[in-house]
Amino acid sequence: MLGYQNKMLRIDLSNKTYSTEPLNMDWAEKYIGGKGLAIKYLYEELKPGTDPFSEHNKLLLMTGPFTGTPVPCSGKLAIASKSPATGTILDCSIGGHSALKIKYAGYDAVMFEGKLDKPGYILIEDDKIEFKEASDLWGKGSHETETILSAEYGKEASILSIGPAGENLVTMSCINSDYYRQAGRGGIGAVMGSKNVKAIVIIGTGGVKVNDIENTTKRLSEILREDTTSEENMFIYEDGTTAFLEACNDGGILPKRNFSDTTDENWTKYNGEVLLQYRKGKRGCGSCGLGCGNFIKIGDAVCEGPEYESIAVAGPNAGIEDPQAIVKANQVADDVGLDTISAGDVIIYAMEMTEKGIYDFGIRFGDKEKYIEYLKLMAKKEGIGADLALGVKKLSEKYGGEDFAMHVKGLEYPQYEPRGSWGMSLAYAVSDRGACHMRAYAPNDEVFEASIPPYTAEGKGKMVVDLAVYNAVKFSLILCDFWPLGMDRMAELMTLITGKEFTEDDMNEVAMRVIHIARAFNQREGFTRKDDTMPKRLVNEALKSGPAAGQKIPQEAFEKMLDDYYAVLGWNNDGIVPDEILTSL
Amino acid sequence: MKIKVLLRGFLVKYFNGEKERVIEVEDGLSARQVVERLGISIEHKSFGFVAVNGMRVMIDDQLKDGDELKVYPRLSGG
Repeated sequence: MLGYQNKMLRIDLSNKTYSTEPLNMDWAEKYIGGKGLAIKYLYEELKPGTDPFSEHNKLLLMTGPFTGTPVPCSGKLAIASKSPATGTILDCSIGGHSALKIKYAGYDAVMFEGKLDKPGYILIEDDKIEFKEASDLWGKGSHETETILSAEYGKEASILSIGPAGENLVTMSCINSDYYRQAGRGGIGAVMGSKNVKAIVIIGTGGVKVNDIENTTKRLSEILREDTTSEENMFIYEDGTTAFLEACNDGGILPKRNFSDTTDENWTKYNGEVLLQYRKGKRGCGSCGLGCGNFIKIGDAVCEGPEYESIAVAGPNAGIEDPQAIVKANQVADDVGLDTISAGDVIIYAMEMTEKGIYDFGIRFGDKEKYIEYLKLMAKKEGIGADLALGVKKLSEKYGGEDFAMHVKGLEYPQYEPRGSWGMSLAYAVSDRGACHMRAYAPNDEVFEASIPPYTAEGKGKMVVDLAVYNAVKFSLILCDFWPLGMDRMAELMTLITGKEFTEDDMNEVAMRVIHIARAFNQREGFTRKDDTMPKRLVNEALKSGPAAGQKIPQEAFEKMLDDYYAVLGWNNDGIVPDEILTSL
Repeated sequence: MKIKVLLRGFLVKYFNGEKERVIEVEDGLSARQVVERLGISIEHKSFGFVAVNGMRVMIDDQLKDGDELKVYPRLSGG
């Protein structure tokens, strides 16, 4: 099919060799690319029970058929592996320009296998692959690493790197690119670190063949103008994700003090209006039409962002109101290579543990200096950081506080409070990589829509399936989350680029395969209904403030949502994908 | 009754670029009725939700004198 390079690069780190092979186009037709195709490959190639830090785990960079074309918002890259945080399948989506460079270098995907014997980095320059020494880079932050490599290879090189957190196998470490873009969750950076790979430098000088270039280019210009950059989508250019702060606060889903409540009366001290006063620049990913990135500089604190998640966790959820500290926490987390969500959740859990006198982690709500200091300690696993690097699940098993340990399967909670959006408790519970908001984003329907009641289990199983179907296609294509295009448009784009007819029904079928195979991977690792959980806090404690005051989620309501979700997908009551579906994958 | 209306995102075009206005309407109107008075179609895919006094409400909830009604466009992503 056009749009693809029909080629995968396989890099054997243990033997410092590489080879190319045709991309499996039968699988590409069924799973497209990005998330779906990455999971299919890992499902076929990773043996059940593989230790995520062993040389048998693999790290897969996967593009899609639109990558490197002018399809709007198509500059993202899927990075997949088995997660060291959860033991589940793990696929992340990272912005920047690395996906385009991989495609221009001639590949749809790059599979890393084995492990380097000592720290190194990999240079992919079209068809030339080199294994480089990185002892002088090891220990450096991602920002400095990127600066050094960029000086050596020029601005046309795209760089994926890890910070000290990834090197030290912290299971909440990320992969960075373009300084401030991350494949953030599930410890994907630690997988790279376990392979002794500090960075991947990609230079690509080729192109991508698309169907009927004249007509395709003309149609893509129309779509960009009419659908992508329409007036209703431009909030993401103007405000970025800071726009979500006010909406989530009003919607009763902005968490406060380790999810003990919602709706912060002081939210205007660090909201978008405040942060954007300090905006120094704008940026988008490759092939982007929306340009969500805002460079914010307050005093010595600078980052691209902070995005909603990073503001919410270091702000209201930590009892911190100082915008400079919020930006600094983001900057430090990016540089040391930590996921702002999980690392932040660990710190706010530690704050509550200390406040309640259960265990003294030496940090209380509002302590902005220690918040930043603890990020650095976690990345190095030094002092208290060695403990904190365990993550919320293991910490709660070791020290207590399980009632307010906010995670699913060991992945910490994103910053949307489910008692104000009941469907989100289900979405977190069934997400294929643990608590993630990118698999099915329930507030879209339950909060940011005016007619769907948020505080009921009725209809939520089907709602979460529908949301998951949509995202499974979007992240397999692989497109940016911020373009709310319809499924019909996604099918049209596939037809335009590949020259093969795709319908909306075809897209829905792809989505179902992707959801099933991700579940099948986890099922093979022993995950069942017992692991699709919600934190006890949501069942036992009612919210005190905001529009969702008085709300908690009864266990039976949660179980009903799970029953409905499994039933809609054709899984059994224990959440098991039946054999007839497994054999069709 | 007097209602302070705050528009968010691209909806400010309905107030010629202004973010807020105080309007006078009959007593007992719902949020839906006031939003429609402004010429904003709640059936349109780009309409989002409404909050009264900083808290999301259902679209047919009744307003009272002095309420602050915030109208959001559809937000997508996360």
